[in-house]
Amino acid sequence: MSASEPLLAAQGLRKAFGQSTALDGASIAVAAGEVVAVMGPSGSGKSTLLHCLAGIVRPDEGRVSYRGRDLTACDDAALSALRRGEFGFVFQFGQLVPELSCVENVALPLRLDGASRRDAERRARTWLERLEVGELAAKTPGQISGGQGQRVAIARALATEPCVLFADEPTGALDSLNGEHVMRLLREAAHDSGAAVVLVTHEPRVAAWSDREVVVRDGRTRTTAPVAS
Amino acid sequence: MRAWARELAIGARLARSGGRGSLTRVALTAVGVALGVALLLVAASVPRMIDGRDARDAARADAASKEARQRAGDRTLLVADANWEFRDRDLRGRLLRAEGAQAPIPPGLDRLPRPGELFVSPALATLLRSKEGALLRERLPHPIAGTIGDEGLAGPAELAFYLGSDALADAGARRIDRFGADVEPEGLDPVLQALAVVVLTALLVPVAVFIAAAVRFGGEARDRRLAALRLLGADMRMTRRIAAGEALVAALLGLLLGGLLFLLVRGLARDVTLWDLSVFPADVTPSVPLAAAVALGVPAAAVLVTLVALRGVTVEPLGLVRRAAPRRRRLWWRLALPAAGALLLLPLVGAGDAASGSGGEAQLAAGVVLVLVGIAALLPWLVEAVVRRLGGGGVAWQLATRRLQLDSGASARVVSGIAVAVAGAIALQTTFSGVEGDYVTGREASGDAVADVWLADDGGGRLGGGAERLAAALRESAGVRGALAVEQLEASHGTASEIVRVADCATLQAVVPVGRCADGDAFLLDGMTSLRPGARVRLGDAVAWTVPRDARVVDFPGTEPAQGAVRSIPDPVLATPGALAGVAVPPRTLLASVTLDETTPDAIEHVRNAVARLDPTADVFTMGDRSYRRQYATLRRALFAGAVAVLALIGASMLVGGLEQLRERRRPLAVLAAFGTPQSAIARSILWQTAIPVALGLALSVLAGAGLGAALLRMVGAPVSLDLGSIAGLTAAGAAVVLLVTAASLPALRRTMRPEGLRTE
Repeated sequence: MSASEPLLAAQGLRKAFGQSTALDGASIAVAAGEVVAVMGPSGSGKSTLLHCLAGIVRPDEGRVSYRGRDLTACDDAALSALRRGEFGFVFQFGQLVPELSCVENVALPLRLDGASRRDAERRARTWLERLEVGELAAKTPGQISGGQGQRVAIARALATEPCVLFADEPTGALDSLNGEHVMRLLREAAHDSGAAVVLVTHEPRVAAWSDREVVVRDGRTRTTAPVAS
Repeated sequence: MRAWARELAIGARLARSGGRGSLTRVALTAVGVALGVALLLVAASVPRMIDGRDARDAARADAASKEARQRAGDRTLLVADANWEFRDRDLRGRLLRAEGAQAPIPPGLDRLPRPGELFVSPALATLLRSKEGALLRERLPHPIAGTIGDEGLAGPAELAFYLGSDALADAGARRIDRFGADVEPEGLDPVLQALAVVVLTALLVPVAVFIAAAVRFGGEARDRRLAALRLLGADMRMTRRIAAGEALVAALLGLLLGGLLFLLVRGLARDVTLWDLSVFPADVTPSVPLAAAVALGVPAAAVLVTLVALRGVTVEPLGLVRRAAPRRRRLWWRLALPAAGALLLLPLVGAGDAASGSGGEAQLAAGVVLVLVGIAALLPWLVEAVVRRLGGGGVAWQLATRRLQLDSGASARVVSGIAVAVAGAIALQTTFSGVEGDYVTGREASGDAVADVWLADDGGGRLGGGAERLAAALRESAGVRGALAVEQLEASHGTASEIVRVADCATLQAVVPVGRCADGDAFLLDGMTSLRPGARVRLGDAVAWTVPRDARVVDFPGTEPAQGAVRSIPDPVLATPGALAGVAVPPRTLLASVTLDETTPDAIEHVRNAVARLDPTADVFTMGDRSYRRQYATLRRALFAGAVAVLALIGASMLVGGLEQLRERRRPLAVLAAFGTPQSAIARSILWQTAIPVALGLALSVLAGAGLGAALLRMVGAPVSLDLGSIAGLTAAGAAVVLLVTAASLPALRRTMRPEGLRTE
């Protein structure tokens, strides 16, 4: 990958679910360490774009490349390994495994990546502290609030020190105060670890934390000017 | 009350109109309840099956009445038993000879068979017509004049015949003037009674557990719907009643389906034979109170279980459903049940047949039921206590143990069914393997093939030639290596009586080493008789005989039981025919022991044919009574099959529960897939999640079952030994259920872990 080449790029993505077209020629490029907000109204295809970029959904047409590697040509095992090692994810809700404690949830991707239980939980605790939820380590998701849950989820997403963090409406289920707090922590943590962030949101307030906005409408993308920081 | 009915009705409407998901849950519950109801209805028919059989048995009873025994008349009939075996199946045979025009006709016949005519049961007719029955046909070469109707048979598969005979005489037959003499039904052997109680409990408790589990199918999805109702203003009580209404619909549907399934099973009853017993479909009719109890009890239980299950759930209006803080299961009452059972059983242990009579059966039944139900109650506590302490391991193990720690109740409740069935099965298998020894004597265990033949001489010369002719006839039979035959008489002196066996010198020397022997000699076994040479005794009722003064006292060295009755019963007086010369010998018994060549197929059947030609009423016993062994083998197989069926049934409900859990956890699983969790890790977690409760259930049931089996064996005075084969078999079946449940969950897991689960719009 050359210095000018984006870390993650998609070109001409098309994806339909039955009769419904979710993406209709969408393209995007994300540089290392960049925070990109993907915006658009409900049903515009922004989440599908995120899923295609992350190798969760295979596009019907088009190409997704990560560090110059064509993800559409990778098999499921390779994509799973990539997601496990290089990507992190934060979703709107329901993402923590309810039966595991917060520290076990954060440690889970580390353990899947081969870390020992002790080491994984030690690192998980560090991340929980960084996200200001260290005191929740032993609690289960059912015992904490939505905002706390999102911070635990961000800790889990960042625990593997991914190169790209995908966040799909990470503050969608939170009030504005909590949302701001979560976004501040997410942005700082991503910045500190050097991860690029692809942030799907329909809220300009949330998009304001990004370096750049990409608007998705009817499955097509339109890049706007960089967000003033 | 009206509000109750209205809310139940709303629940019922929700069940119908809740879309495909709701209908699927209703269907699953209904199928589960139907299986349980069908089994309960079969169990409720057992009293009628036994009554019907007993009633027909009583109606055809032909015990001699006191008056009829006096003299022959226009209304009397002579009857002799010809109860045989053919390839380990019992045949009930009767020889009949009418003494007058008004002689009674047995139930199931429209007339008495004429001499030489044969009336047979439909099953016997089929057997005689078949290739398999060719050998039996030799024993019953007579023309078949008709079949015995159902009212004259214990069951549809019974092999029975009536044969007209003009050779029957007073001495070898009973005289009756009616069938259906007042006889008490024989009833079950106390050992079998005890086993029957265990069988019923082991069968019915899992059914109850299964019905309770089936009623909870789809509970979590239902809770979400209930949250919507809370938003519309329903309070918690109303919500619970609405939920109960839903469960009621499924239970009623299950009741209906169960009734239909029962009718289907009933129609097939004629083709099922177990323990040599078969039942007519008409007998498979539940008793009215028991059927009513099932019809009312199952829907009522459905409502009750739903209400109880919802006690621990707080349904909040904003679609949020939280489990109320789980209460730690209490141990005391769970331990109290098996402890009470053990207390009831302990006094019976080592008391021989103490279980029979004077409330012993009730005590035994109550003890066994309490122990088995106690296992069902104890298991959820055990699972909770064990999984609470589980930790470590890989990701899959961690996911499984944490899931179980969060809610082990559902798995433990379902596995309780397995535990009861398996504990019951192991208890019975252990008991059978011990009791079998009582019935399968050491003689067969020694591997020798020996048969004993007993013939009662009617004094009419039917046995002309006596022991020698019998032995000769037996030796000519295919597959006979050797035969020894003796005549046996009862000699009484004072109030004592002793057995005198009469045979030629060669035979006597084969029985006891008497040394020098010539016709006219007699021998007294040292230490085994009080008779002395020259003693005067009565043979039969009134024939006087003097023990020869030159009778020699000889030692009896003892023999192995495997050598047959002629050798093994040390009769105190042995005599050659010459020793009774000049004595009008009264009717006596002929006893023969036959050594069989086991390589000759059906050697014993050839012997039976030879004996039947001489006297159809003679008894032929094989050493170690093979029929008991076969019956035990059949029952053990049936029991194993039953336990495996229960395991499969419980496995089915575990699968349904597991699939429901996957549906409920679709989003977290999709997220796990998103960050690269391999499906195999989740699959392994499902495996552990099923395996841990099943393993605990099996461990508890093996312990309880072996303990119960040992107690039952001690009760009947049999040596205690574990049936490791059945324990291994049932454990393997449990493992297979775990693997199958996991394998069957995989397609749903694959679907659940697709990225579509992440879509929220």
